[in-house]
Amino acid sequence: MSDSDPPVVLIVEDEPDVAETYKLWLQEEYEVRMAQNGDEGLEMLDESVDVVLLDRMMPGLSGDEVLEQIREGDLSCRVAMVTAVEPDFDILEMGFDAYLSKPIRSAQLHETVENLLERSEYDSLLQEYYSLVEKQATLEATKSSAELAESDDYTALTEEIAGMKGELSDALGGIEDDDDFIATLRGLNEGDEN
Amino acid sequence: MYDLSSVLDFDALREVRPGSNILVSGPAMSGKERLAYEILADGARNGDGAVVVSTSDQAATIVNDFRELVPELEESQLGVVDCRGEGSGDSGSVNGAYVHQVSSPGDLTGIGIGITKALEGLHNSGRDQGRLALVSLSTMLTYTDKKTVFKFCHVLSSRLDSAGYIGVFTIDSGAHDEQTLQVIKQAFDGLIEIRDAEGGGREGRVLGLAGEPTSWKEI
Repeated sequence: MSDSDPPVVLIVEDEPDVAETYKLWLQEEYEVRMAQNGDEGLEMLDESVDVVLLDRMMPGLSGDEVLEQIREGDLSCRVAMVTAVEPDFDILEMGFDAYLSKPIRSAQLHETVENLLERSEYDSLLQEYYSLVEKQATLEATKSSAELAESDDYTALTEEIAGMKGELSDALGGIEDDDDFIATLRGLNEGDEN
Repeated sequence: MYDLSSVLDFDALREVRPGSNILVSGPAMSGKERLAYEILADGARNGDGAVVVSTSDQAATIVNDFRELVPELEESQLGVVDCRGEGSGDSGSVNGAYVHQVSSPGDLTGIGIGITKALEGLHNSGRDQGRLALVSLSTMLTYTDKKTVFKFCHVLSSRLDSAGYIGVFTIDSGAHDEQTLQVIKQAFDGLIEIRDAEGGGREGRVLGLAGEPTSWKEI
């Protein structure tokens, strides 16, 4: 995703009216793709998709099965499951990043997509932060404190880490609530498996 | 502010900001776990909520030990997340404490759900501050890599921050290479280091929480 391109949202929904409504709500801010069923959804899924809105109850491949295949693949997209029932935490464990209970209102849909995009940003920041911290740790484990004090590289790295820490704190707005917290941890578990 | 100085007498522990997470690092058998539990117990005696995330002791043992440390412990003042992976998978009340079973110390999602439910229970019973202890990161590091544990600590600390809690995490300093320890340390606001003293007994020092690192002293 480059800065100039809008994020890509893929809607997987078997009811054309419903899909069309979501598209109307989102198309000003996002590039919207539409799939009418699970198989089509998987076909349209590639690296450029940032967020998937996935209907749970569809004829053919169900939302759950599509989600499973997405998670087995190497894609970094975020998935919001659209369900008729309010899921419990146990269902959150299934592996989606957010859920929306039907019927959905425009504001709610916008908020969910925005949150998911923010969380992706948080993840990539955390990734970057970690690689700096690891560099710092390597230096600290191999050099004496006198050597570190004299090293311009080490000083620059320390400053960069401090700046990054501030940025991360700002991005933390994304994990204020419980769903975000659990979904972020789930993301870590998956990163671990890959 | 949390005052931990009655558990461990250092000025740097007198005013610990809500949202702080502290790593307790020391060799095996140096009393790290005991210290973490005492920090929780000290808060519970003053009405704070307590959450224990354990990878080694079973929930019932923790609840009973905790009751001995805090005889006045109330219903729903303690939550335990048992990650040994040997439990039945059920959650519920054990001897007046909320207990959640997680399938393995590497199941971060499950641990997150357990912590969330425990915090929710404490919050609903009107406890607006509290302390969480995770014992131990060393076990988690055998189930998953240091990168994942680092990120886990970071994400958890942001959750504790929004809850106004403090977190105390233990790590066995003898069980990991220097680089791993250095990486994990960076995920914390403060560090309590414990070592065996030359003439017997133990020494500790505090880094990162307030001002310069303290010097080693007997604890």
